[in-house]
Amino acid sequence: MGLPNASEDLSSEMEVDAFRRLFPLRYFERHLAESIRPDARSLSRARNTTISMGAVASADGSALAKIGSTTMLAAIKMEVMTPSLESPDEGCVSIDFHMPPICSPLVRPGRPAEAAPVVAKQLSDTISSSGMINLKELSLVGGKAAWMVYLDIYCLDADGALFDAALLSAVAAFSNLQIPTVSLDDGKIVMLPEEQKEENSEKEPVNKEKRKLTLGGIPFSLTCILHKNYILADPTSEEESIMETLVTVVLDSSNQLVSLYKPGGAVLAYTSAVQDCIALTRQRVKELHQILEEAISGMEID
Amino acid sequence: MAAKPSTTTTAKATYSPIDPTRKTRPPIFSGSDVDWLRPDSRGFHQCRPAFFRTGAVNSASGSAYAEFGNTKVIVSVFGPRESKKAMMYSNIGRLNCNVSYTTFATPIRGQGSDHKDFSSMLHKALEGAIILETFPKTTVDVFALVLESGGSDLPVVISCASVALADAGIMMYDLVASVSVSCLGKNLLIDPVLEEESYQDGSLMIACMPSRYEVTQLTVTGEWSTPHFNEAMQLCLDASAKLGKIMRSCLKEAASDEQE
Repeated sequence: MGLPNASEDLSSEMEVDAFRRLFPLRYFERHLAESIRPDARSLSRARNTTISMGAVASADGSALAKIGSTTMLAAIKMEVMTPSLESPDEGCVSIDFHMPPICSPLVRPGRPAEAAPVVAKQLSDTISSSGMINLKELSLVGGKAAWMVYLDIYCLDADGALFDAALLSAVAAFSNLQIPTVSLDDGKIVMLPEEQKEENSEKEPVNKEKRKLTLGGIPFSLTCILHKNYILADPTSEEESIMETLVTVVLDSSNQLVSLYKPGGAVLAYTSAVQDCIALTRQRVKELHQILEEAISGMEID
Repeated sequence: MAAKPSTTTTAKATYSPIDPTRKTRPPIFSGSDVDWLRPDSRGFHQCRPAFFRTGAVNSASGSAYAEFGNTKVIVSVFGPRESKKAMMYSNIGRLNCNVSYTTFATPIRGQGSDHKDFSSMLHKALEGAIILETFPKTTVDVFALVLESGGSDLPVVISCASVALADAGIMMYDLVASVSVSCLGKNLLIDPVLEEESYQDGSLMIACMPSRYEVTQLTVTGEWSTPHFNEAMQLCLDASAKLGKIMRSCLKEAASDEQE
């Protein structure tokens, strides 16, 4: 006489909202049997995705990415550092992922979200192993000065698929990045105010013009939920909380596999399921690539 | 390669190429007032255009985004929800406020943590306007994140928080609108930007409920003469009344959109 059995009889007379709250798994399974999800998506469809570039004026590069209502704001600030002895002509990239208390009812001030360090680690692993950034481009004066790139990603609204949205915003922020004009003055790198550019000729220019990074293979990702025989692409936070087996596939723009995460979970995936996830990701990469291209070209017209 | 270096070593190892000394006070304020434009070419008594939008965060009970020039703020309201277990019984509701900055909010990275006092200031500015009796034994959480700091951050946070509270359906006596004024020599500059705040002689901030003509918070710092002070207060009150109208129209718009 378990509760799930009782739900069978109750469901006919209960209100839909109450049923959804009391028997969430059953509610979802009923939808899945009809090959549809409660938000009217098909199982393999991702939510609407938008990118807007240059959202933060005080940063050197920034982007706002939205997947459904999951919102990520990524911004890059450039600072100067002395490169390490092992790699004197390389810069460095530091990636941080923050979940401030505004983003979800589960996060309270002083009690950081469990998910944040996991996503941060995945992000820096993915970006460094994809080879998107050539660290040699971040060198200023060989052995003396190089750029330290601080990328901070803030989750403004957490509604599932956090890693996908964070990676998308990070990639967009990098393609929006403009390396500032600086010159060498007394052993220190300084930024020249616009009006002084011509007068101060005694300062040795190091980076004469604002320039962009050349990005290598750009990584894109898709997170799927495995539940029984179903594969649900791009889950919402409600779906993530009910069905806990996640698979995240990261592919670069030429469809090469960058990384694949399946952090445990109740469902043990067959290789066929993993292959299906990769196939779904391949489609999604095409979509995301186009969305990113459109966001970049939209910036250039302005 | 792109490994995350430990924060202790990077804190001093890197520096920003922005020269902090370039912000000098315009010479005009030492003499009498002449025609001089502010950094964003406003008049001395002219506020930045204010923009509010509710429903910025879907997972919150209520939320608002505010943009005043370069100052951009998001406030989420959660609750009324269960108070922390350790809390004593209370027959009126509790208000819990937190203000934080993004690391890229300030021109030099990571300086936003200087504003630890803002959380309690926000709490005190809102406390008087909220009808705490309507949610006994529970807590309303007001969390603010300053996305970009462009000056007058606290007044923007307070106004934005009050719009978010209204969006969450928390009962209030009135909206709280807040405006600040900077004093530079003989001049009063309303709604100062970051640069003006850095060389001000004194500042005054008022948070008030415009339709009740009641002040919930008044802070004064620095050097003020009495006539100056009176003038500044009147300026702030007038500006808050106008700001209150903008906030109200934003809420009305959101409500009428919902009905359609």
